[in-house]
Formats: sequence, C-alpha cells, structure tokens
Amino acid sequence: MARYAMVTDLRKCVACQACTVACNAEWDVPAGYARTRVRTTPITGTFPHLASSIYVAQCNQCDRPPCVEACPSGATSQHDNGIVGVDKSLCIGCGFCLEACPYDARYINPATKKVDKCDFCVSRLERGAEPACVITCTAHAKYFGDLEDRQSDVFKMVYAHGARRLETSTIRVGPNVYYAGEHASTDLVLAAFPPRPPRLLAAGQAWSRVLRPLVLAAAGATFLGQAVAFFNQLRNGEKDFED
Amino acid sequence: MDNNVSRRQFLGTIAAAGAGTAAAATVASAQSHPPGWSGTQRVEKIATTCEMCFWRCGVLASVADGKVIRLEGNPDHPLTKGRLCARGNAGTRLLYDPDRLKYPLLRTGKRGDGQFKRISWNEALDFLASKLKALAAEHGPESVAFFPHGLSARFFSTLMKAYGTPNSAEPSFAQCRGPREVGYTLTFGRELGSPEPLDLEESKLIVLIGSHLGENVFTSQITAFATALSRGAKVIAVDPRFSIAASKADWWLPIRPGTDIALLLAWMHVLIGEDLCDKEYIARYAQGFKELEAHVREFTPEWAAAITELPAAQIRETARAMGTAKPAVLVHPGRHVTWYGDDTQRARAMAILTALLGSWGRKGGIFLPTPIPRGAFELPDFPESPRGRADGAGTRFPLASEELGVTNGLVDATVTAQPYPIKAWIVYGQNVLESIPEPQKTRKAIEALDLMVVVDVLPVEQINYADLVLPEATYLERYDSPSIVTTAKQPFVSVRQPACEPLYESKPGWWIAREMARRMGLEAWFPWHTPEEHLAQIIAPMEISAEELRNRGALAFPGRPYLDDQASDAESPVRTGSGKIELYSQELKDLGADPLPRYTPVEDPPAGYFRLIYGRSPVHSFARTQNNEALNALMPDNEVWLSTRSAKDLGLRDGERVTLENTDGVKSLPVRVKVTEGIRRDCVYLVHGFGQGSKGLHLAFRRGASDNALMTHVKVDPLMGGTGMRGTFVRPVKDPTAH
Repeated sequence: MARYAMVTDLRKCVACQACTVACNAEWDVPAGYARTRVRTTPITGTFPHLASSIYVAQCNQCDRPPCVEACPSGATSQHDNGIVGVDKSLCIGCGFCLEACPYDARYINPATKKVDKCDFCVSRLERGAEPACVITCTAHAKYFGDLEDRQSDVFKMVYAHGARRLETSTIRVGPNVYYAGEHASTDLVLAAFPPRPPRLLAAGQAWSRVLRPLVLAAAGATFLGQAVAFFNQLRNGEKDFED
Repeated sequence: MDNNVSRRQFLGTIAAAGAGTAAAATVASAQSHPPGWSGTQRVEKIATTCEMCFWRCGVLASVADGKVIRLEGNPDHPLTKGRLCARGNAGTRLLYDPDRLKYPLLRTGKRGDGQFKRISWNEALDFLASKLKALAAEHGPESVAFFPHGLSARFFSTLMKAYGTPNSAEPSFAQCRGPREVGYTLTFGRELGSPEPLDLEESKLIVLIGSHLGENVFTSQITAFATALSRGAKVIAVDPRFSIAASKADWWLPIRPGTDIALLLAWMHVLIGEDLCDKEYIARYAQGFKELEAHVREFTPEWAAAITELPAAQIRETARAMGTAKPAVLVHPGRHVTWYGDDTQRARAMAILTALLGSWGRKGGIFLPTPIPRGAFELPDFPESPRGRADGAGTRFPLASEELGVTNGLVDATVTAQPYPIKAWIVYGQNVLESIPEPQKTRKAIEALDLMVVVDVLPVEQINYADLVLPEATYLERYDSPSIVTTAKQPFVSVRQPACEPLYESKPGWWIAREMARRMGLEAWFPWHTPEEHLAQIIAPMEISAEELRNRGALAFPGRPYLDDQASDAESPVRTGSGKIELYSQELKDLGADPLPRYTPVEDPPAGYFRLIYGRSPVHSFARTQNNEALNALMPDNEVWLSTRSAKDLGLRDGERVTLENTDGVKSLPVRVKVTEGIRRDCVYLVHGFGQGSKGLHLAFRRGASDNALMTHVKVDPLMGGTGMRGTFVRPVKDPTAH
C-alpha cells in the first residue's frame, strides 16, 4: 500500500500563494478560508543580521491522527494509503476535530456546515493527476509521492536529503508533510508555528460513543432510501443520464 | 427524496457509507469521472493567455455549460509550462466579479460625481465617433490623447493612429521599464523587452538591485529563480528592505536609498582594479574600456561605503564573487525602475557591469532574442501629424520611446496646453490615477478636458471623471492580437481566445475598434472581418497551423539565445551605431549627458520624515486585483513597514493604525504599522495598489493606503521622461479615528 507524503522545499518556495488560490479554486473553498496557507515567519535577528523563513501549512495526514479519535461521527477516517479523509455525508460539523488538530489544518465550511481540509487532492490522484498545489507551484517547490517508492522524489527528499517534519519533543503524531531546506530555516518555522497539543475533549469522547452508532444508523437510512429510489428508477426507466 | 438518482450517485453513496463503516476503506469513488467530465458536466478545456498581469502565461480554462469553472496552467506553454501564480488561478473571480462594468454609460451628473445613464452600444459609439470627428475638425486629431495598456488595446491603437493622433502613451515606459530599455539600448543597441530575456536558471550568481522576486511574481521568472537556488546559485540582494529574496540571499546589502550608482561604480572599480573582468569578451565586443577604467579609478569601495552605508569589505567581497562566477552572473535589470530621475544612468551602470562580466549574450546572463517571422496586413500609411507629438518623446525627452510614449508628458501638455492643447483623453485599460504619479496634476488635466472616455473591465476611480464609459470583455471572453514572444529561449507565438461569451453587454476590444473604424470611415486600416482572419494573417509566414495553435494555446520555435549561436550571422548581435558594446556612450555625450555613469546625491528626507518606498505583493497586480474576491481574501489591505527603532522613537506599536502624511500635507487613508527589523531606519514601505477611491469596487474601496496618492512631487529623467517615484517623504501620524 502506498504511503503518500508531501514535501515543500523551503529553499525554493517564495511564498507566492499560488498553491492556496489553486486549492481554493479546485475545492470551492469560500473566501477567507483555505485548505493550505502560506505564511512567512517573523523576521528574527538584529538589523542587518536577519533571517526569516516560509511555512506552507496543510493537513499533515498524520500517522496517528488525533482528529480521527476526536470525530464522534466516524466522518474522519484514515485510509490505507495514509490519507485522512472526511466523509461529508457523515460529518455533523461539531468541530471536535478542529480542536484536536495540532496543526489547525481544518475549517468548517460556512456554506455546507461540514468540515473540510486538505486530502492530498485524492480525487485528482484517482484520475492520475497530481494535487492542485503541486502542479501550479511557480517555484516547483512542492513534491508529492509515495514514501514506499524508493524512486520517488519524496523518498529521496526525505531519506537522502533530510527533509523534516514539523514535530516537537512532545507533539509527535507522525505528520506526512515534510519540509526540505537548511535546518536553520525549518527551525524558524518550528519556532513560529509549532504544533500544539491536541485538545481532545473528554465530553467529545463520551459523545462519540453515543453519536457514532446514531450517525451510522442515519447513513444506513439514507442508503436504504437511495436504494429504493434506485430500484424505482430501474423499474420506471431513467429519464436523463446526467453524469 | 428525489426519484431521479443516477447510478453513479447511488454507487457513490454506497462507497461513502462503506468508508464510514470500515475506517480503512480506500478513497471514495464518488468524485471520479471519465476525462472531460467534472461532476455531472461535460468539461471543455480552452487554451488561452492569462491577463491577470502582463506576463502572458499559458492557461487552460475548463468550461462547462458556457461557464468557466476553473483555470489551470497550460502544460504545453513553452514559457510557463503549466505553472500559474495566485492571480492567474483567481481569474474566474474577475470574470464573475459582480462589480464589473456591464453596459455603456453616459455621464449625467457633474464630472467626478459618478452619475451615469445606461445607453446602447450604438448610441455610445455614435456619440464617440461624432465627438472625435468634431475634435479633429476644430482642434486637429492630435488634440486627442490615447492611454492604452495591454494586448487588447492594440486594435484601438491602430484606430487612433489612423485617426491621426501620434499622442499615445503607456505607463510601462515612463512609470516602469523605460530607463532600463534606454540604458541597455545605449549600451548594447537593443532593448531588453518583456518578458525579460534573463537566463536565471543557468546563473551561478544573481544580483538583485531593488528587484524583489518572490513578492514580485512573474511565473516563469520565479520558476527559473527557484531552479537556480536549488542548483546552488548565490544571490546578492541590494534592497533597503529585507525582502523574501533577501531572506534567500547569501549577501543582503541594505543600501541607503538612492545610492545604487555609487555601489555599481565601486563594484566596477574592484572588477577592473583586481583584473576580474572578462577581458577577452570586452576586447572582442566592447569599446570605451580605457575611458571607463580611468573613470572608476577614484570610486573605491571606501568611497562608496561612506555614501551607501554598506561596509567596504562587503562591497569588495560581492564584487569578487561576481568576478569568480562570471560570465554566468545575472545582474537583474529590474522592471519598475523609475526611482530617482537619473534612472537611465543607473540602468547604464548595470548594463556596463553586465558587459564587464561578459554576461550579455552568455549562459547564465542575459540571453538574446530570436526573431520569428510575423505576418502583416497591407495598410495605408498612417496620416502624419504636422504638429508632432505633445508628450515630448523625441524632443523634450530625446531618448523616450515613440512607440510607448510618455504618459506624464501628455498630462503636462494637457495642463499647460503646450506645445498645443489636448482636448480629449481615451483611457483604455490603464488606471491613470493609480499609475501616474502626481495624481493632483492628473485630476487637474482631466478637469480641463472636453471629453474623457474610459474603456475598462472594472469601475476603477477614473470612470467617475469619464463622459463615456465602455465595458470591455475580460481576457477570458475575447480574442486579442496573438502574442509573439521573441525574448524567450524558445521564442513562441500564443493566442488569447474566448473561453466563454462576453457577459452582460461587454464587448471585446477588436469589435469596439472595428465598429469605431466603420463609423469614422477608417475601415481601410481594418482589412479583416473576424479575429480568426486576423490571426491567420499574422501567423501566415510562421508555417504553423492555426488549428494546432488554437488547440495548444502556444507554439514554440527553435531558439538561438547565446552569442555563440549567432556568431556567424551577417548582422552583429550588438546593434549600437559602432557595432560594439558602448561602455562609453558618445550618444549621451552628444546630448550633453554623462557618457559614463556618475553618482549624483539624491535629496534626503527632512527631519521627522521617511522615504516612501513601495513594491508588490504576489497576490496582486498593480491596482487591478484588489477587488478580486479570492485575492482580496488573502490580502485585503496593505501595511506600512517601519523599523523597530523608528517605531520606538515615534511611540508606535505593531498593528497600530496611522495615516501617512507627505511633505505637502497630503494624507493617506489609515494603514496598519508593521514594526520590523527588516527595513532601514530612513524609509517606510507600502505594497502598491491599495487605498482605492471607487465606491463601485465593493471589496477594494478605501482599503489600505495608496502610495501613488502620496507622490505629489516627482523628479523627471531628462533623457527619457521617466518619473522618479522614490523621492516622496512621509511621516506616520497616529490615526485619530482608530480605536
């Protein structure tokens, strides 16, 4: 099974934000929200001996994702390939996963009231296309691929060139987004945008035990309804095949 | 529940439910569709050319049911190869901006009030044709001044030339790259052009003088810059501000503003004094080395250190780095370079430095254009104006481009009625209030006009002053003249073609120009009926298929970018009068100017004031994109950079709101202070294009501060008319309206 990862090369990235706008267009993200954001770290040092770096934030598709644990409805789950997905039909918009995410990589879409976040453009991957942020990156600074493929760019950047993940000694949830560049640059990013402890609400966990079966039951009902409609349609003949 | 559930929807539901129950399911297939389909819609991809800025990147527009649903980079495009910047990705938000100009408008209220009534295109064009005929009869066609910008205005440019006015000027010259084109032409006999022929990706050392690549984004230039960085190229960033480029640089030189020529002369002093020049190249291609050597002897790094406030050792070290890396050194010529009014001389110094390093026409430096044959229609000669140009190009400003003109020269002529009265302005795709400095003068000029016409996509502030407003179709709705780019390593031709029908009653530029020509009896200059016919004629000698061009968006030709490629050509690649690179310029000497660049001190800010410097954001183009919903969300306003020490002196905190007041007492709108170590104490910095005055732009109106509004005094370059825009001094004043 694949182990998908993203690497941003901070030497090349110029913070142009093409990735953010391409992603927003790809996924109809409302203005003011984003699945990936670009920030510059505060300028450190004393004039004229200064340094700053760039942080490209997105869902890290963590190995041990706190969001999955926090999700009471089962909407957030991790696939075999490591990608953490949100099943919109199951999401109840409770926001527990937002609290749980150490990288603040999720938002609730005000139009749909559902949680949304980067999923490495999984539907593009399925049709053989790379993620929208990768193909538009003006600096060719973003690399996407399979860490289990030794020929992949991401394998080389992570295992041969020492790309780092954004982890601290206490917050280690196994992110699969890596940053290549001088250690001084990644240190600046880590200092300015460290992962925070997941806020796993005790109440949320209790709720999840109650809610999960309820939501699944509701989904089952939806499934039943659609099945009935489907068989009706088969019987009556389809009007327009719209797909 | 809707009975009409499709099979795919049903199966999708199964898959989604499955993913919910079994946490380890593979990805849901609900969103996968065969190629050419998205959701339930058939999607067509149209290859065209972006116009969110002027770089002309290749885009693919995905169109479903006549609506553009997505823009992506065109992988077939020879220059941008599928990459697209933030603005390019946000192009649909311009197309579907609810604030767009929708119908022709005729002014009903007082000029400046913005009171209009909707009229038909017939009424609008008849009105304009009768006005232009009357103006020609009464004051001569030269009394009409034309302010174009962009590819689409080229058709109207033809109309204006046929009408008989030589008075046309674009800010791309006197407010932008004019001094550079003049300086490099004086030295190499050829201008650089746009996109600049910079061999960034092959460069071993990149020298940026005020160029803030990264914040200033031209897609292919960023790709090449990043490629060079990943290959280990070194960077020298000369900038009073710690830019993104400076943060990636091996040497950041926070130079005292206005002293770049001193630094350039000291670099030449070291290169010549330490025998680090490319002597063989200079012997073969250049003349005037002896004079240059004598000229720079006194300009030691110590001399420059006192002027530039940079350490002499750093000046020496960076010069030596260039000497080591030559000829693969790119002295970036910059683009917006109208800074201090002696900018042609600074451009000359940069061109001479490039020549000393042997970088012009060499790998990793500035490469040479490769011409492409271009077809043309046989047109009658344009009428010649007995009164000549009013903007001073070729006269008052002897080296100004007669093709691009001097915008501020036209403003002056309108205000003074010298050399003759200007009675009408046609502003086409330009924003004269945001792009030409001394806007108080521009307003005064407009007030004196008999007729002001604006052709635009958005209701920018200047439409309030217009008698007639014509809504142009956006770049996604129209054909333009094909774009022929010779300044790429692989020269190419690209098309702009509609992805959808023009919205509302907006019309493409070619249609507006042709309709006007028909009304004015100037059809002879428009011997084509459709844009397809026009395209076919332009590409006729290229031996390519129009169909293939339109399918792929752009087609490339083999390039010959280096001097070695052109060594056996009959014509010398150096196109000066002497056929040599002119380190010493007899042409300047004959004009009474310095034949070798010389440092002249610029005025310092008075006590309590700071020099206003300005630049770009990667998510905005000029003052054109602030109302774009996607881009506005990323940067709705600007902030003013102020050094930590100056902020402390003034008692200002980070995030506090101030107004900027210039030495004439002109005040900006309130703007947040960004307190940072990343700027010199003697200047403040704003991103250009904010603080707009049009109520019709709902997102951009009065957001942030306008740098241009504060530029009430500029120093004009006597050689080419460029407006030196970095001589504005401002002081931050705590905003009394802030909470």
